[in-house]
Amino acid sequence: MSLLIESQKLKRTGYLPAFLAGGFLAAAFPVVYMMVKAKELTLASGKPIAVLMSANWQMMAMLNILISICGACTMYHTEYADNGTQKMSVLPIRQGNLFFSKFVIAALVLSVMVVTEMAVLAGCAEYWFPSYVFDLTEILKTAGFQIVVTLPTVMLMLVIASACKNMWVSLGIGVILVFTFSIFPQDNAVLGLFPFASPYQVLSTAVENSRTALYVIACGIETALFGIAEVIYLKVRRCYE
Amino acid sequence: MNIIETQNLTKTYGDFTAVSHLNLHIRKGSVYGFLGPNGAGKSTTMKMFLGLTKPTDGSFHIDKKTYPSDRVSILKEVGSFIEAPAFYGNLTGEENLQIIQKILGLPKSCVDDALELVGLTEFRKRLAKKYSLGMKQRLGLAGALIGRPPILILDEPTNGLDPVGIHEIRTLIRSLPQKYDCTVLVSSHLLPEVELMADDIGILNHGHLLFEGTMDDLKRSARAAGFPTDNLEDTFLAMIDEDNQRRGGAA
Repeated sequence: MSLLIESQKLKRTGYLPAFLAGGFLAAAFPVVYMMVKAKELTLASGKPIAVLMSANWQMMAMLNILISICGACTMYHTEYADNGTQKMSVLPIRQGNLFFSKFVIAALVLSVMVVTEMAVLAGCAEYWFPSYVFDLTEILKTAGFQIVVTLPTVMLMLVIASACKNMWVSLGIGVILVFTFSIFPQDNAVLGLFPFASPYQVLSTAVENSRTALYVIACGIETALFGIAEVIYLKVRRCYE
Repeated sequence: MNIIETQNLTKTYGDFTAVSHLNLHIRKGSVYGFLGPNGAGKSTTMKMFLGLTKPTDGSFHIDKKTYPSDRVSILKEVGSFIEAPAFYGNLTGEENLQIIQKILGLPKSCVDDALELVGLTEFRKRLAKKYSLGMKQRLGLAGALIGRPPILILDEPTNGLDPVGIHEIRTLIRSLPQKYDCTVLVSSHLLPEVELMADDIGILNHGHLLFEGTMDDLKRSARAAGFPTDNLEDTFLAMIDEDNQRRGGAA
């Protein structure tokens, strides 16, 4: 039920159009890139999807993160702008449920974006790589991995947005984190586990380095930990208001 | 029988005491006027009742339920309006109430009923952010009244309303105990309004309860203390002034 309520709150906020536009932009990137660099990439060794991912994913992941940041800020701006959050606090519903419903919506929208991007990548492989044989399992595995490694970022951004009444503060924090973590070396196993850095990890590279399980488990734990931190924060906040 | 009772309820922020050892007794089916100057601790007390802020010390019972263990259960019985209207500006008045209706598990007809009660039916499809201040206030009240809860906590419900609106809301609040067997805790700076609608009153100053009882009790006690008793405003001002002087503060 709280999922339905949270979806209703997003009406007329521009949340879904923003994700659609961002998803479209991220999905268009490999197409444009292939139009320009088709020769170089088709000659590269490796599976077509892996080649396309390593060539495009950095930019696509950054767009996904930026859109997730905007989404989290929009969600909580709607709560704080006209004090709607206070009304929710005096209704018989757990604040934690509302937060997790927001997370589910953000994760679902992110999943739609990533799956769309993967479909476009498969389309590019089909069009530009004559040797490519469509493999649904490979596409789904790649999409699943990219979603899982992005979830800690989505969750942490929602935690930050929930703590900042001023949307510009949370947006600023998010953007600073994106650019700070994007300069971290991606091949470092530890630095690559941080939220805002993990979304740049690519499944083919993780498989090569035998780090797939590490990333999936670590990102799962991070997501859960940020969720628990939010629940604790909601309880503590009541003592100081 | 008291539906709301507090025992030494206290709230401090650092070294500032907002509410100090408050012992309130609110009778079931009454309109309780909660009076006090700005910063007296009225809103803080109401926020504690709603779980918006945690008491530093003491406890309270609402309909035999205690905070924090029965918080959700308490909120099911309480309709509230605190400080300023709280709503989602991107939604229409009707959509705002539909959210509350869904959370409370009420029938859909409750939305129309609440809109009708506060006179917003005509503007139900307008975005809440485009409402005038008075309309926002009415929407906030509709959010408190939806489903006709047995307990209403209203903090300055007539702020921003025109005289006609104030009269309508006062009449509505006055009628609630009889019509819906409802208990109302209402704070207001408009003392003549409180005088007209409250059965009992509580006067708070610097977090301390100066008086609690019926209007007749207040007059009796004021007369005994040598305060004017012509109207509630004069009595209130004299009591606050005397308390401020006793504390060594400015009147």
